[in-house]
Parts: sequence; structure tokens; C-alpha cells
Amino acid sequence: MIHDFRYVRPERLDEVLDLLSDRGEKGCVFSGGTDLFVDIRAGMTTPDYVVDLKGIESLHHLSFDKKEGLSIGACVTVNELIQHEAVKKHYSILAIAGRELASHQIRNRATVVGNVVTASPCGDMASPLLCLDAEAVILSNKGSRNILLSDFVTGVKSTTLRPDELVEKIIVPSRMIDATGGYKKLKRIRGHDLGVVSVALLKRKDTLRFAISSAAPTPVLLPDFPPSASVEEVQAAAQQAISPIDDVRCSREYRAFMVNVFIERLMKGAE
Amino acid sequence: MLPVNLEKRKDSGMFGDLRSGETRVIGKRTPRVDSIAKLTGEAIFVSDMAFAGMLFAQVKKSPHARARILRIDTRKAEALPGVRAILTGDELDYRVGLYMVDKYILAKGEVRHYGEAVAAVAADTTAIARQAVDLIHVEYEKLPPVLHPLDAIREDAPLVHPQLGNYDYIDTAFSPIPGTNICNHTKLRKGDIETAFKRSEWILEREYTNPSVQHVPMETHVAIVSWKHDDQVTIWSSAQSPFTLRNLFCMAFKLSHRKVRVIVPYVGGGFGGKAGIHIEPLVACLSRKAGGRPVKFTATREEEFSLLPCRSALTYRVKTGVSSDGKIIGQKMTMYWDSGAYADYAVNVTRASGYSAAGPYEIPNSWVDAYTIYTNKPFGTAYRGFGHVEFFWGIERHMDLVAHAIGMDSLDFRKKNALRPGSVTLTGEKIEEHTGNVLTCLKAAEKAVGYGRLTAGEKKREQRSGMKIGKAVVALHKAPAMPPFTATGVILKMNEDATVTANLSLTEIGQGTYTALAQIIAEHLRFPLHRIKISQETDTDRDPYDWQTVASKGLLLTGNAALLAAQDLLRKSYELASQILRAQPVDLDHDKDKVFILHNPEASVTFREMAVGYAFPDGRSIGGPLIGIGSYIAQGLTHLDKETGQGLPALDWTYGAHGIIVEVDEHTGEYNILKVASVFDVGKVINPDAVRGQAIGGMLQGLGTAICEGYIYDQEGHLLNPSFTDNKIPTARDLPLEVESMVVETPQLDGPYGARGVGEHSMIAVAAALGNAIQQACGAELTHMPIRFEDVWRSLGKKEPIDNWITKSPFGSCKSAPEIRKNRPVQ
Repeated sequence: MIHDFRYVRPERLDEVLDLLSDRGEKGCVFSGGTDLFVDIRAGMTTPDYVVDLKGIESLHHLSFDKKEGLSIGACVTVNELIQHEAVKKHYSILAIAGRELASHQIRNRATVVGNVVTASPCGDMASPLLCLDAEAVILSNKGSRNILLSDFVTGVKSTTLRPDELVEKIIVPSRMIDATGGYKKLKRIRGHDLGVVSVALLKRKDTLRFAISSAAPTPVLLPDFPPSASVEEVQAAAQQAISPIDDVRCSREYRAFMVNVFIERLMKGAE
Repeated sequence: MLPVNLEKRKDSGMFGDLRSGETRVIGKRTPRVDSIAKLTGEAIFVSDMAFAGMLFAQVKKSPHARARILRIDTRKAEALPGVRAILTGDELDYRVGLYMVDKYILAKGEVRHYGEAVAAVAADTTAIARQAVDLIHVEYEKLPPVLHPLDAIREDAPLVHPQLGNYDYIDTAFSPIPGTNICNHTKLRKGDIETAFKRSEWILEREYTNPSVQHVPMETHVAIVSWKHDDQVTIWSSAQSPFTLRNLFCMAFKLSHRKVRVIVPYVGGGFGGKAGIHIEPLVACLSRKAGGRPVKFTATREEEFSLLPCRSALTYRVKTGVSSDGKIIGQKMTMYWDSGAYADYAVNVTRASGYSAAGPYEIPNSWVDAYTIYTNKPFGTAYRGFGHVEFFWGIERHMDLVAHAIGMDSLDFRKKNALRPGSVTLTGEKIEEHTGNVLTCLKAAEKAVGYGRLTAGEKKREQRSGMKIGKAVVALHKAPAMPPFTATGVILKMNEDATVTANLSLTEIGQGTYTALAQIIAEHLRFPLHRIKISQETDTDRDPYDWQTVASKGLLLTGNAALLAAQDLLRKSYELASQILRAQPVDLDHDKDKVFILHNPEASVTFREMAVGYAFPDGRSIGGPLIGIGSYIAQGLTHLDKETGQGLPALDWTYGAHGIIVEVDEHTGEYNILKVASVFDVGKVINPDAVRGQAIGGMLQGLGTAICEGYIYDQEGHLLNPSFTDNKIPTARDLPLEVESMVVETPQLDGPYGARGVGEHSMIAVAAALGNAIQQACGAELTHMPIRFEDVWRSLGKKEPIDNWITKSPFGSCKSAPEIRKNRPVQ
């Protein structure tokens, strides 16, 4: 059962920003809808206005440039991302993690930006993007600001995004194009499950960088390690940084344990 | 009835093919008759249907597990434009129930489970109905719920149904205990259990548990009902059993059966969850209150989890006495079935599991107490396997644990104790050669997985992965659970072009029986398969009676009725042809097109000429439409003695076995299922593709139960995983790397062409196979399913189990060692 709302599909970005500015908390933006409509149906959110972004061409842009890096527009779907040649070549960790997100059908709709803005502790895109020093480019009709994703997500389903603001795109810096990495995710079935707990590793010439999801209110980025770091060292830092809970998906104890297992597997695989 | 000399001509005449080894259609791979309509979306389900003036219903549900309803204020909802009918329990004084008449259509006075319906609305649109439901204000006084069956049988437990002693119930089969939460106690006593334990070398006792799970049919429960003048009621429902639905409906409302019509078009899966009567009475009352306008209710997926019933949870305690040479001589089995708030099918699950509780093994001295216990949770109903998936988790885990404890290979232990010709079942039935062969099944599964050793490839795989490979073989059996007088009918109508349309009331819920029935009819008539149509929609006004579509009994019972109808159609064709050809029926034979004189085949008359009556050249006519009628009723079954459980409950026993290969990470508890090989003694394969489909589908559904499924409650009885977000079912990606399905064919003497049912069996005992193989690989000793990676890890680390508290056994769980008593030292 869908709560009544007004559906608007502007063709220009400034219309979106004006709408958001006028409607404030009663409006929300929509592209894939894979979180939004689940929440509306469950009565968890009751917007008066749903602003469909898909009419705005620029938000569909997914581009790579050796200088600017990777730019992921708000309407770029997860499948578009993971099938993109530059992503496969230069940011393989995004492709690896993206393939773990839900099912192929959901990935056809779900957007990369949406997965980050939803700010679920178990989102699959956040931890690899954190490792990559990704930034959100945020617009409002008052101007724009850039913010590191590590500063953007502030808690369970909460971000620094104001009601009048829109994440236009996420930028992944070009300095990360030499990075390799991996993503390990604990699931209850082999298909389309949420991450019960997951770990991303980004490996560069001089650093190892880990991010952990579903083990704290937000995805957790660990401080950088030198390539010579031992598994135990990383595990100890990870255990310091996370604060997993018991829930119907898993116990705190096993989450913490599997974080260590995944760290070890990623490091051995990365050697 | 038959001319005696007809018997002599076994290879010709109207019964020519019945026992012959050569078949034309039977046993051949046959595409499903309903596949294209379903794949293309042409098939119409109730979910697709709409009628002019139709209203849409929504239900107000209880947020509490147990609470007194103090008042319900519907005024705001009534004032909402577009609302056409509002109902609360106060105005509905009807109780419904399959075996125990214990459920009001809407809760009256008290709610008994989370998600129970307390009020309902019919409105012009679903949106208005939902809004109206939100405007209904219910004031509750929360009461302490009773949630675990073992708590519910304590003396001081609150009673879920204080009026239990006043309820109507089927007293030939069930024994409620008024003044308690026990709505049925099934007893079985065979031999002398105490002496057997005294004589036993070993005595092992252990408890096994599993939670409730949801059926998850693709099409949720949905019904459209129109209650017109003079109490003429038409029900379109996604239901398994149109006649039982009609019968229960008529009993609840005290209506004549002729006034109520149930129509079931294509059904999007049932798995037992649509076997009885569920939402139809409520939708009917809304239609009546709305002046007879058709009202439609479509359950949401979330409503499937708590408004509608689930599979019962089970706590199963088994105590086994074994002789020094590994023969089971006594076994005491106690089942605590968690019925939830209403008895529905759970009482009969209890009864059917009680008489089958030991698995396919001979237990000379046995004692079963199987209790169905009311608790304040969503209620349990039939689910593929009808109790056997649940208790086979226990019994087949137990067989392995006993074998380990006494130092015997578990497969040898199974073979030693398996039922074989001459064995006597728990209820006193003697096993014959033709009953089926569980040993052959075990051996086939053993071979398919290379039980007892690792191949070179498997050893290499272990080295490469660092994981440990384990193998297990388990056995299973099941007979249909049904009244001894279960009956069915089939009507075959010959069309003008000598095609045949079959009317029957077994429903096609995905199991493939319609294809098999078409094959049986085609085979016997000697017609090509494409000339047979099984009418897809069932309609109680048009079609002959069938008790229910449950229990894996459809192929045998309806198959026999179809054979009888085909015989009748041929008999009538021969009678007519004998007049036309001036020959006795005994001198006639037929092929796909015509009836002819045996020794003068040129003297013939076509079915086409006779189909709707034969007209001689001068216009005079004889015959009339050719219609074959077949009625069949289960043969030779009896009620069970209520004190001893002795009697003949089994139409047929389908035996089977699963072999499994699994690899386990001893460090983390993660595992991969490398292979499952399943084998069933199906008597005779009618359609190899259907058998394979059932074997694989059921196996994966069984694995779902084994690896991830289960209801989780908090301590107040709220369902914590009431949707797909946290109530997962497997997908195709969870299939084992390799799947093999095999059959054994020991013909069932009274089965059509020797066939017996296999719809549920593939799901049974898969979970135990997985548990046994995991233990074999890494030593994790699990007694609760599902087996999540974490459970294996906890078991290996001897950590406290984290089973959700409600299903966690108070007597021990995966960390505990079996209770072993040794009477005498081994010589």
C-alpha cells in the first residue's frame, strides 16, 4: 500500500533544487526507488513530494578522466557502474563490491549514489568508496559543496545532507587508479542478501586500507596501514574500531570474528 | 461386471495395456500441460481477476501476541467516503476449523497471536480500505503470552483456549485435553518398551528442535467472494482443495452445499499453506455486509508471515535402546508440536508424524506421545512433508548420533534397522515386497556420493581449499496423511472431434499431476496425448468431488479414478460400437481413431462418429455424448486405535534416500554443498521430467529449511523477521554444485501403472543429511535447524548457541553431548 504523494519529474536541475528548497522535509528525491518505495510501503517515510531525477540527463553521466577521476551521477545504476570499462580497469574494487549488491534485477534500478545516501550500515557501495577517498558533490539552489564520504555519513540512515540539498554525483579521485582490492561479505543465502558483515580492502603501492560495513552505526574506515602490516595488527585495529550488535541476522560475536576472517582472507589474497 | 472371457485377452480390448510392460506415453518425458500458459502469462490466477463493482478488503491486525480487546472504535473509518463494509469480531459468531473448530473469523474478546485479524474493511479501492483500517482504533489490555510449547504444558500456564472442552472436533482421530493447552495427544504403543530398554546394551536420549517456517508460494493467499441473494455464495480462491473449502465454509455458516460454489483457476503454488480454509469466510462476510458486491482480498507478503499460517515448530525427544549387535529394540518418541494459536492442520500433522515417527526402520517396541500444543503465535498448518521434514531432522540426526555413540557406521546402522519385507511398522502394518524398497534407495544414494571414502579429486579439493569434506546418506519415508475414506472422482467427456476433456477437482499447484493424469488417460485410451485436456479450472458446481490436493495422494487416487473413467468411456464406446457393428463387445478392439472387430478390422466405427451420439445414414441415432465416470476411494485403511495407535493409516509408503557431500571450513563454520543425490521408490515413473522437477525443487526447499529459514520472535511474541528482509528463502544460486536424481521402481499394486506419490518426499530428511555430513566433516554436533554458518562455528567452539530464544531447547542444544547410558559393558 503506497502512501499518497505528488510525483514530479523535472527536466532541469534547477527545477529540482527549487522544488527541494520549497518543499523542505516534505519532499524527497527518487531515482532507483529500491530503498525509497520499500520505506514508503512500510510507512517509514511519508513524503508529500517525490521528485524523480531520471528526467535530468546530466545526472546519468558516468565518466572517467585521467585528471578528474571517476564521476558517478546520481542516476547511475549499480549495473552501469560495474559494467563500465574504466571501472573494471581502474577501480576494480567498485566492480567487485557492486556485484555483491542485491540481485541483477535490483542492480538494474538501484543507484550507486542512492546506496550511499541511504546510509544504511550494511550498504555495499559505501565501504569501497570510503577506501577510495570518494567525495560527494552536493547542490542546492544556494550553491554547491564537496564533502568526503567519510564525513558525509553520520549515523544509521543519517548524513549531513540537508532537505534542500541533492547529491549530484560522487567523484572518485584519479590518484586511486592504481589501486587493487577486494570485498568480502557474509550472507545468509548466496543470492541477493544484505551484508550481515562485510570488509573492503584497497591495496595501493604504499598503503593498505580497510573499510568495514554492518559492524557499527556507519561504515568504518580504518587508518592506513603500510603494506608490511601484519594480519594481527589490522585485526586489532579493526576490533577497536567496530561496535557490532546482536540482531536477527547474526550475533555481535560472530560479526567481530568474521571481520577478522575477512581481513585475513583479503590480505592473503592481496599478497 | 466384465465379461469373463475379456480377462483372457490381456493384450487387447479395453484393459489391454493396464499391466503390460510396454507403454506408449507412460514413463516418457512429457512437457507439462500448463507450462506455456504459465510462462507466457496467459494463465489467469485469482490475483489477476476483477469483476464489475468489486470491492477491496484490508485487515486490521493485532500488534500483540495476547491481549484482551477492550473496545474497537470504527466511527472514523465508517465516515470515510468509499468504505462499504466494516466488520469486527462482535458481529461474527462463526467458528471455523478443519479438525478442531476453534477459530473465529475475526478475533472476539481476545487476540491470540501477533498478526491476528481483529477488524476488516471493504472499500472502493485498496487505498481507501487501508486508510479505513488505519482509522480503526483498537484498545487492548496486554496479557502475558505463552510462547514455548514446553512452557504451555506447565500447570500454571495461561490457557490459549479456555473453552477447548466445548469445541467440536473430529473425535475418531484426535484427543484434546480440556483445561490444558494440549489440543491433541496422539498415542502409539507397540510391544513392551520398558522391557526393551532393560534388554538394551545402549540407551541414548536426545532432543532436536526446529522453528516455524513460511511456505512462500509465489502467489499469496487471495480470494474473491460474492454473497448474493438467498445465500448464493461464489468463492474464487487460490486454494488447494475446493471441496474441503466448500464443506468447511458450509459447516461454519450452516449453508446447504448446493448454495456455495468454489472456483479455483490456476494456483500460484500452495505447499500446504492453501490446503484448508483461510481468508474466504472473512471476505464472504464483507461481501454479505456490502450487499453482495464481490470483495477481493489479496494478502501481502508480510501478511503471509503472520496473518496466514506457517509450519509448526517442533521439539522432538527420542530415546533409543540398541542391542549389542546394533539393532534398535526399543524407542520412545515424544513430540511437542507448537500449533500456535489455532489447531488448523497441526493436530493432523501431529497424528501423521506420530505413526511415522521412527522413520523407515523397524522398531519392535515403540512408544510415541505426540502433543499438539497451543501457544500465542501465528498458527501452523500443512506444509510439504506434513511434519516429516521437521521430525526427520531429529530422527535422521539421531540415527547418526546413535551409530557414532555405539561405534558403528551410520549407514550400516540404517541398513541393519531398515524396514524390509516382513517388517512391521509402528502401527502394526506388515511390509510386503511391493510396499517399496528403502534398502535399494539407500544403496543407490551411497553409490552416488561415494559414501565412506574420499576420491582423489576430493582429497585434492580439500588440500586446495583447506576445507574438510563430509558425506552422509539418510533414508526417508512418508505415507499420505488422510482420512481412511478419502475419495475422488473423474469425468471424461468425449468431444465432437474425439478429443477428451477431463473434469476433476484435484488442483494443479505446480506439482505436475495434470500432466501425469493426461498421460494416464491417453495411455489407457490409446489416444495421443494432445487429444486429452485436463480442465485447468476447478469448479465445485461442475466438477466431481475430490477431498483435497494434499498428502502426495493425488497421483494414486485421482490417477485410479482417471483410469476407471477411461475404462468407463471405452466400455460405453464398445457398447455403442457393438450395436453399430453388430458384434459383441468382447469381439471388439480399438486404436486411436476407431473401434473395430478384432478379426475383421475393416468393420469399424470412429470415435468421432460416436462422440456425441451415432447417426445411422438414414438419420436414426443411438448413443448420445460419450461420458466416462470414475470414482475411487482409498482401499483398506482404518482409523487408528486411540490408545495404541495401531491400525492401517497408509495408502502407500514412498521410500527414499538422500546422499550429500559438503565441505566445511572448520575455522569459520562456513560450508558449501557439493552434491545432493536423491532417490525415491516411486513405483513407476509416469513423467520422468516431473519426477526430476519434484526431486530437485523439494530438495532445494528442504535445503532452505536446513540452511536459513525460520521465524524469530522476541520475548513478547512479536515476529522479528516478518518479511523477506530477514526471513530468507534460497534461490537457484543456493543449489548444490551437483544434483543427481534417481528412481527405484517397485510397482505399487494398487497404483495407476504401479505409481505412487512423490510430491513431498524430496523435501524430507535433506536437513538431517546436511547436519550429518557437516558433523562427519568437522565434528560440529547440531540438534537445531536451520544450520547457519554461525551455528556450525558455535558448535565447533563449544560456545553457547544463539538460537532465537523461543526455539532454543531448554534441555540442551548444539553444544550438549548426547545423554548416553550403557547398561552393560561391551563384551
